[in-house]
Amino acid sequence: MTAGAARTADPPAAALVVRRSLRVRARDKAGAVALILPGVAWLAVFFLVPLLIIRIFSLGTKDAAGHVVLDHLGLQNYAQATRPEYLPAFANSLRYAAITTILSIALGYPIAYWISRYGGERKVLLLILVMLPFWTSYLIRTYAWMFILRDNGVLNGILQATGLISEPLTLLNTDLSVILGMTYGFLPFAILPLFVSIDRLDQNLVQAARDLYASGRGAFLHVTLPLTMPGIVAASLLTFIPAIGDYVTPDLLGGAQTTTIAKIVQVLFTSGRDWPYGSALGFLLMVITLGGTLIALRTLRRETFA
Amino acid sequence: MNDRIAGRSAAPGSVPDDLELAFLRALAERRISRRQLLETAARLGPVAAIAPILAACGGGATPQPSVAAPSVAPTTASVPPSVTPSVEPTPVPSPEAELNVYNWDAYIGEDTVAKFTAATGIKVHYDKFETAEGMLAKIRTDGKGAGFDICYPTSVDVPALVSEGVVQPLKLDLIPNAANLGTQWQNPGYDPGNKNSMPYMWWTTGFCWDGDKIKEDLTSWESLWNPAYKGKLEMLDDIRETFAVAAFRLGLDPNTKSEADLDRMAQLLEEQKPLVRTYTTADIDVMNQHQVHIAHAWSGDVYQMYDDVPNVKYVIPSEGAVRGSDTMVVLSGAPHPIAANAWINFNLDAKISAGNTNFIGYMGPNAAAMEFINKEILEDPTVNPDIALLDKLVELLDLGPDLDKYTQRWNALRA
Repeated sequence: MTAGAARTADPPAAALVVRRSLRVRARDKAGAVALILPGVAWLAVFFLVPLLIIRIFSLGTKDAAGHVVLDHLGLQNYAQATRPEYLPAFANSLRYAAITTILSIALGYPIAYWISRYGGERKVLLLILVMLPFWTSYLIRTYAWMFILRDNGVLNGILQATGLISEPLTLLNTDLSVILGMTYGFLPFAILPLFVSIDRLDQNLVQAARDLYASGRGAFLHVTLPLTMPGIVAASLLTFIPAIGDYVTPDLLGGAQTTTIAKIVQVLFTSGRDWPYGSALGFLLMVITLGGTLIALRTLRRETFA
Repeated sequence: MNDRIAGRSAAPGSVPDDLELAFLRALAERRISRRQLLETAARLGPVAAIAPILAACGGGATPQPSVAAPSVAPTTASVPPSVTPSVEPTPVPSPEAELNVYNWDAYIGEDTVAKFTAATGIKVHYDKFETAEGMLAKIRTDGKGAGFDICYPTSVDVPALVSEGVVQPLKLDLIPNAANLGTQWQNPGYDPGNKNSMPYMWWTTGFCWDGDKIKEDLTSWESLWNPAYKGKLEMLDDIRETFAVAAFRLGLDPNTKSEADLDRMAQLLEEQKPLVRTYTTADIDVMNQHQVHIAHAWSGDVYQMYDDVPNVKYVIPSEGAVRGSDTMVVLSGAPHPIAANAWINFNLDAKISAGNTNFIGYMGPNAAAMEFINKEILEDPTVNPDIALLDKLVELLDLGPDLDKYTQRWNALRA
């Protein structure tokens, strides 16, 4: 018997193969579900449930002892949360996050570009160097900034020793110190996605632009920049979203005039003992961030990829 | 940060987290830090270090019913140490073998725990907290103290903890050393008759300034509104304390619940805000680093500025000021309630209490302990003001739901 004859002589075998492949596919699917299930369960329990709790708390009230009471759910906390007195704190949060994002991209893009194009064999080492600060706790690094910026700190010491200033500059507890600290903290989050998108860019396209008489600047503006826009968007989101809720940096490096909305929420949860109100403010901040992100993404996508 | 950064718990043994905690302690905390303690001990000399031991060995004629003899036969003691026969009730229950204590870091005499164990045979598990808010959050998690027996809340928080059932009434018959308390501490407003809490250490809240930078002798809260100190002024990041300053300036009650009063106080603080460099509880740090020249501060903390700001001055302003105290309470879920009451009694012992004060630099409410307290502390009006003055000071009271009126205005001020 030849193989061909066997195949024609035994038609059910082909059907069997098909059936088996279907079965395999079903099994793969089951396997895939089994693989993602822990992750989904994890997110459900540790992300969605707390979010839901915050949402429910935000609709509640509290009793005299500060316990959350969920008898009469309502929006009264949101009405309070949108009081005009808090606008300056919201504005501070937005302003710091926006400036931090812009600075992180402006500083991070050249670094990412340089590592990708000229890093050569040392690329991995250079990327590790970018991530090196993560080996030390963020809190300690923020305290280090306090040592650098305060009136009798390192920076003022150097400036005074070199005779550039006679009286120490007020650096700590200002807008400047908050923005410096936040930009320092979030820069690695910007560099990594920028690096990925620049590194993936097909250099032949840039070469082609140059062959077609584009200047170096023209090739960058019309080829490199648009093609790495997804990286810029990712870097912006990874910087802006955590920056807007950042509590540690403004609290440690900021002062009386730099209160952010995160500080207000903290006061409500601790000494204020008003979790429902704090939850409402936190939830509101999240909705604003989410809305802003979606609008930004949609606008950018239309411009970039249309 | 504190509180910031309240409630952060370090993974045991993880080095960065330990460092982090050490930093927190040194910089963000209003209590004495270990480093400062060592320096203080070094400055006060060996006398301070061995004073409690000397005191303990001294024995001799001491006022009743106070003095425990910590050297007394250990381990099997079934009676709390300083119970005198005259007040001893019918059978005193034996204390349990262990005790879980939850206190501020470095807020107790160096060898108090060891002496307690030696005297009673009770093994002490000693845990520390960084911020009052973190501690309150923890003992409220299960509503009965999260497994601790003893905790050290500030007096203003005691009424709420009592009404919530987080603390249990004290067994006063097991605490005969309560008789050692000075008269002004026998019946405090926050807990009449000390039925639920015993005063531990007390302080005043005034303001301090660097005598090298500000030459005048300041006596009034008005100085904290002086435009000359713009950018060199710190206010405490503490809602009640800071509103109290405005109340004293306006001649109002710092425990007021009146909306109109509070509006005036908030208005005054709003006028002050442009001058303020930072609102923080790290009053020691901002002064020691010369970030500010004048600071709203706790008296015990000023004691810890002497090394870095040798000319620091502290005043209880003429308009009035807040006095406060930390207390010892037994938590309602305490697994070892008898041992807990024995602990409180032990810490009210004259020599033990004096040993605590000599080590941490805060004054206790213990009248019998006065004769054992170091002269440096007794003669320092910052930590130990004239008792007549003390009576004029105001205690902050729990406001219940009316606290919202403060929180709301505070957030509006800070925003």
